[in-house]
Amino acid sequence: MTDPYKVLNIAPTASDDEVKHAYRELARKYHPDNYHDNPLADLAQEKMKEINEAYEQIQKQRRAGASYTASSAQGYGYSGASYSTASSSPLMQRVRMAINSGDITTAERLLNEAPEHDAEWNFLMGVVCSRRGWMDDAKRCLETACRMDPNNAEYRQALQMFSNSGGYRPQGYRVGGTMTYGGDTCMNLCAAWSCCILSGGHCCIC
Amino acid sequence: MFGYIRPAAPRLDESERRRFRGAYCGLCHTLARRYGFLARWLLNFDFTLLSILLSLGTATVSRCRRCIAHPCRGCEAMDASAALDAAADRSVVLAWWQIQDHIADHGFFSGIPYRLAALLYRRAYRKARGLVPDFDAAVRRHLRELDERERAHCASLDAAAEPFAALLSEIASAEPDETRGRIFAQLFYHLGRWIYLIDAADDFQTDAKRGCYNPLRYRYGVTGDTLPDEVKVSVGETLDASIRQMAGAYALLDAGEWTAVLDSIFYDSLYGIGKAVLSGVYRKQIRRIRRTKEEPI
Repeated sequence: MTDPYKVLNIAPTASDDEVKHAYRELARKYHPDNYHDNPLADLAQEKMKEINEAYEQIQKQRRAGASYTASSAQGYGYSGASYSTASSSPLMQRVRMAINSGDITTAERLLNEAPEHDAEWNFLMGVVCSRRGWMDDAKRCLETACRMDPNNAEYRQALQMFSNSGGYRPQGYRVGGTMTYGGDTCMNLCAAWSCCILSGGHCCIC
Repeated sequence: MFGYIRPAAPRLDESERRRFRGAYCGLCHTLARRYGFLARWLLNFDFTLLSILLSLGTATVSRCRRCIAHPCRGCEAMDASAALDAAADRSVVLAWWQIQDHIADHGFFSGIPYRLAALLYRRAYRKARGLVPDFDAAVRRHLRELDERERAHCASLDAAAEPFAALLSEIASAEPDETRGRIFAQLFYHLGRWIYLIDAADDFQTDAKRGCYNPLRYRYGVTGDTLPDEVKVSVGETLDASIRQMAGAYALLDAGEWTAVLDSIFYDSLYGIGKAVLSGVYRKQIRRIRRTKEEPI
């Protein structure tokens, strides 16, 4: 079996806190939210499983002899990223089934056959676009779905997931995106200064 | 279109910068060895990133080598490898089609330098086409598609960016391992989407003056020659979405010794480049780097 310490990228001599910290950082990296409607979600899920198992194994080893009971509920996990197949129209039901089975081409073809573009159509088109990597169209469709049916929790949640997914960035990397990146001169200087400190304070520019 | 990507230099210590320069010099030597002396000038950081990604998982050996840019002290350059060869072949094909794109975009007189470049690189391209015929055919097919969409004044950013994104994701076919191939396909797709959109934002003013197609104009219905602030925010959001997709794919790769360099690209510098382009200071920064002959990394 793979060395659990290797999976968590730590030395076997790491303290309990270090183990927990490494586990949390990796769990944040492969968190399901970062792979929502992503074609690589299955690979991230595998990674997450590996990390959960490694963490559990280390816990078990360290508490050997003590009354330890393995509990997978402690770990972060992927809980079926599929969509509900309940739909008002048989065509949309088929689209949902195609999406859940990962057949995006069929889902898109069926959507293009639909005579009217109601809120559900926009929602499902948003999901299809998101899986294809068409991020701007995905956002537009999900927004339209929410506008057409503002009380639908499924659509609202999908838009929220799409808009709030900040993605993973390791500790020490700035938060914020392209248009919020380093917009503040003071923050820029602070960041440059902290870079200098990290690199040993020998940076002549600063 | 190529040449936007660079690592976040302040985040890298000297050994990491040397490592990145090693990949850059390694690709330069590979281009010269396979395609002749002039092919060195096709080199850029985007193709260097390509070499690094394709060499992940294989042991890279560097040694000091002299070249025209470093005739006396030489430079640490990555040794020849299958990944560097694959990256060099694809770089030549991509650079050739970029030259052709410039020829199509420019008039008779302003297009002369590009036609001259095409003349100089024709042999290199023919050799590369012979080595990677499938890749060349795919690039042609996607570029034809791109041309059709641009002629039709496509108003969807994603539909307009699709052919270029799909073109870059074809690089994944160089990867023999199926799982890594899937990861690369996703990573290169969003790299292509990001490059296409950043280029559209960068060229917005020029396109508006020349009356050329620009996806941002049709998507947002902009009438002037500058992007309004709310459009910049929206473009920034969609660029971020692609960066996050790239970072998600990158996280599934074992970056090994390249972790610091690649982290600085996927978690930092791409955001900064987008910001510089959208706020209009990118060109000035590049001019300053060229004027001061400052080492970019």
